[in-house]
Amino acid sequence: MKTATLVLAWRQFLRGLRAGEHRTLIAALTVTIAALTAVGLFAGRVSGLLNSEANNLLAADAVVSADQPLPAALRQAAEARGLTTSQTQTFPSMVSANGDAALSTLKAIAGPYPLRGTLTLNAGRGDYTVDAAPAPDVVWVDDRLANRLRLKVGDAVRVGRLEMKVGALIVREPDIAVDFAGLQPRLIMNAEQLPQSGLIGFGSRIRYRLLVAGEAPAVAQWRAEVDQQLTRGQRLEDVRESQPQVRRALERAETFLRLVTLLAATLAGTAVLLAARRYSAKQADAVALFVTLGATRARIRGLLLAELALIFGLAAALGGAIGWLTQEALALLVRDNLPDALPLPTPWPWLAACALGLVLLAGVAGPTLMQLARTPPARVLRRELTAPARLWLSLLVTLGAAAAVFLWVAGDARLALYVAGGIVGAVAVSGLVGWLLLWLVSRFANGFAARIALRQLARRIWLSAAQLGALAVGLLGLWLLTAVERDLLSAWERRLPADAPNVFAFNIQPDQARAFQDALTAGQVKDAVLQPMIRGRWVERNGQPVQPRGYDDERARRLAEREFNLSWGEMLREDNRLTAGKPLAGEGWSVEAGLAETLGIRLGDTLTFDVAGTRVAGKVVNLRTVEWDSFRVNFFVVGTPAMFADAPTSLITSFHLPPERRAEVAQWSRAFPNVTFIDVGEVLGEVRRVLGLSASVLRLVFVFCLAAGVVVLLAALETSAPERRREAAVLRALGAHSRQIAAIQWWEGALIGATAGLVAGLAASVTGWAVGRQVLELPVSFNAWLPLASLLAGLVLAGGVTLWERRRLSRESALGLLRDPS
Amino acid sequence: MLEAQGLGKHVVAANEALDILADVSFGLPAGASLAIVGASGSGKSTLLSLLAGLDAPSRGTVRLAGEELGTLDEDGRALLRGRVAGFVFQSFQLLPELSALENVMLPLELAGRRDAAQVAGQWLDRVGLAARRDHTPRTLSGGEQQRVALARAFAPGPQVLFADEPTGSLDTHTGERVADLLFELNAASGTTLVLVTHDERLAARCGARLRLAAGRVIEQVNA
Repeated sequence: MKTATLVLAWRQFLRGLRAGEHRTLIAALTVTIAALTAVGLFAGRVSGLLNSEANNLLAADAVVSADQPLPAALRQAAEARGLTTSQTQTFPSMVSANGDAALSTLKAIAGPYPLRGTLTLNAGRGDYTVDAAPAPDVVWVDDRLANRLRLKVGDAVRVGRLEMKVGALIVREPDIAVDFAGLQPRLIMNAEQLPQSGLIGFGSRIRYRLLVAGEAPAVAQWRAEVDQQLTRGQRLEDVRESQPQVRRALERAETFLRLVTLLAATLAGTAVLLAARRYSAKQADAVALFVTLGATRARIRGLLLAELALIFGLAAALGGAIGWLTQEALALLVRDNLPDALPLPTPWPWLAACALGLVLLAGVAGPTLMQLARTPPARVLRRELTAPARLWLSLLVTLGAAAAVFLWVAGDARLALYVAGGIVGAVAVSGLVGWLLLWLVSRFANGFAARIALRQLARRIWLSAAQLGALAVGLLGLWLLTAVERDLLSAWERRLPADAPNVFAFNIQPDQARAFQDALTAGQVKDAVLQPMIRGRWVERNGQPVQPRGYDDERARRLAEREFNLSWGEMLREDNRLTAGKPLAGEGWSVEAGLAETLGIRLGDTLTFDVAGTRVAGKVVNLRTVEWDSFRVNFFVVGTPAMFADAPTSLITSFHLPPERRAEVAQWSRAFPNVTFIDVGEVLGEVRRVLGLSASVLRLVFVFCLAAGVVVLLAALETSAPERRREAAVLRALGAHSRQIAAIQWWEGALIGATAGLVAGLAASVTGWAVGRQVLELPVSFNAWLPLASLLAGLVLAGGVTLWERRRLSRESALGLLRDPS
Repeated sequence: MLEAQGLGKHVVAANEALDILADVSFGLPAGASLAIVGASGSGKSTLLSLLAGLDAPSRGTVRLAGEELGTLDEDGRALLRGRVAGFVFQSFQLLPELSALENVMLPLELAGRRDAAQVAGQWLDRVGLAARRDHTPRTLSGGEQQRVALARAFAPGPQVLFADEPTGSLDTHTGERVADLLFELNAASGTTLVLVTHDERLAARCGARLRLAAGRVIEQVNA
């Protein structure tokens, strides 16, 4: 491109800025980039916080555990990346005091602890937190051990060969839920004392853990590196894997945030589309004049591109700044609800938003402007001449760009598909309904204003259709946001009631079932249903031995390797839903759909499990989804009673116990010594934190997106303003009263508004319902009121714009309007 | 300077072939002036756009400043126009967002002239609008707008000026003043003038005349 062209483009850009010619396009692009930057930055930061909060359950950002001492190289690799490390060893051992002894889980700590989350203690003067192991001669015990051995702070306990002092009671231990040994009374000690204690010897069942924490990218790199080096018996622990409830909650929060970003992108894209149309319409005369004055096509293209690039650059800078400020403001607003400070923002969301803005601009405005470059010079003599439209090209590029943007933002093909389906459906149906409505009203309308309005709408049918489509998409975005906020989010909140189970009890023997249930009933615990549970190793699939190493996916490998908790029962539980196959009867397996997908198990496969030496085989009869976050007992694989007739069975149950009555677990534990109790209160609390945090953040982002949406709607209604004003001017010149003109405009606005409103409401109801059911897997019901409310909103919006225009019209003379309708 | 041979334009409208211009031939030496006259729809503006290379003829040839337009593509014709032609239109064709000065600067900037602002200022002064250089077209009267357009047309020093009904949007008095200015500047610059008009008095001020009716020449007075 020649310097002269660049200089001219720069001057034209400055002149356009001063004259307000680029205003709409710059505003639309700025809003796009600002909205996506703000939402992206904020969502990213919240998501980072949610993940690091979830990592509290690991007491670190990443953990490698093994049944053998871990090689020093792993720790050195972490430290070389600037990460903080710590090591723990967990093992069962007898602890004695006051003439009594109890089997406990001991955790010996070397280094800082915890690296994430808090370890809360109480030594009689209120709760406090610590961040390192106790002094060498001090131990910390939990209330179960204290109850069992009647211990107080300051008492002496014997651990192996050593006598140590109780320094404090453990109130909250971050990684207790992940730590398998959460079942037994607990004791924390300093790892320095281990050699003298004589606790570690041949055959000790020790779990060695290396805890790592630091900057997220460094942790991710270390994880990837370690994953390659793991040998048998070593594994990377992951909250998402060990706690499916937390995984589901995090996934859902991410999907919600992506959905909102997607809707923001849709609204913004619509705004850019409308602005680009107005921009190119305004440029047509200038381009024709340039060609007449001797500019070549290449030069015109260069000019338009350079000017567009300058507009984009300005919008990117402005949008970035506004987006950054907005997300800072959002962060400030939720600060008090957050458990911790949000991680620092990165420039990526801004760059992504800019790229997105560019794709939208290139896809939507590009073809229109390139078409402009072909404007025939004779247009300066005859206005009606325009460049021959390459509609298919514009359509193709726009659709391609929109699809790319959708997939990118959604990060999930299914989510993109549902929302895109809703939008395409809304546009198609609004075209059809609009046409029908025009036809119907034109048959029955007999007032002057209605007839003129209809004739005008019909005359610029494509503009009317584009306006109707844009308005429908804008309203759809708004309604989807409302549906997400009102229906989906509350469905999620309802999913986790205040009395969700927080204690699991297992290893209950069949002959204890009655007594156990009686004990729970006496303790006023309701809804505790005992279910059979059998441990089994998966050995064959369709007669072929299972080879965990054959799976590429790390999670699949681990799932295939470990023992399964199997159960039986022909009734489908209320929090399970059949997705394929038929209900269990006779013999066969019912497999959780997610597990089946990870392990490649299909309907009709024969699975064989080794249950205490006996092989139990059956065909997969159905696949089902499980609401893991219901916190009720659930199983990946369920068989039928007939298959387990002779198998050694125990029972498992879950129930809700108010936190203040936690000590009762110790009583039941004494009454049923073989029964193991797991307190999942921490995990439940974590899921609640994810939910609460997501909900408050999402509601805030919704408000922001709603505001952006209203701007888009106003822009959509404004899009035919110059045409309407020109018509109004002609009518006024012919003697029409301003009330008659207003009535004509009202009819026009009302027809478009009501149609778009109705269609958008219907599409939003269907899309919201589908996304809720299929993507978020929440029990959402169809919102039948939305279409009606949407129709009314369309009418009110159109009425508002008409009123506003009427005021403007009443101030201007007919001549002024005829001369410059824009 | 300008020469047309057997010029014709053929269009197909509503499945019907239509000769909107047929068999126009004339020659115009440098510095001369030609009026193309005729009623509305007689083909005047079509002829002007063919002569200026704004549109391509169906038949015949045009030679402008020694260049055969038929041998040039769209871009070639644009470059030629930029070099030798100036334009004045009935509807002024000023860009509404630019000031009077910026409108006059536009063709100079397109030609890459560094002295665009200075030259444009001088021409605004010549058409008597120095005081209104920063006004946008919206705030100028019709006569003033056309004077800005005249300044824009003459500023790059064109060899040929094409004027399409330059007084068509103005009242008689204003139209006369603009026409006076047009002829005065034309004489001073020695520009060849091609003027489309239906105003006989204006046409009479040109040396040569071409009268069209239904796309055909019915009267031809050579310079």
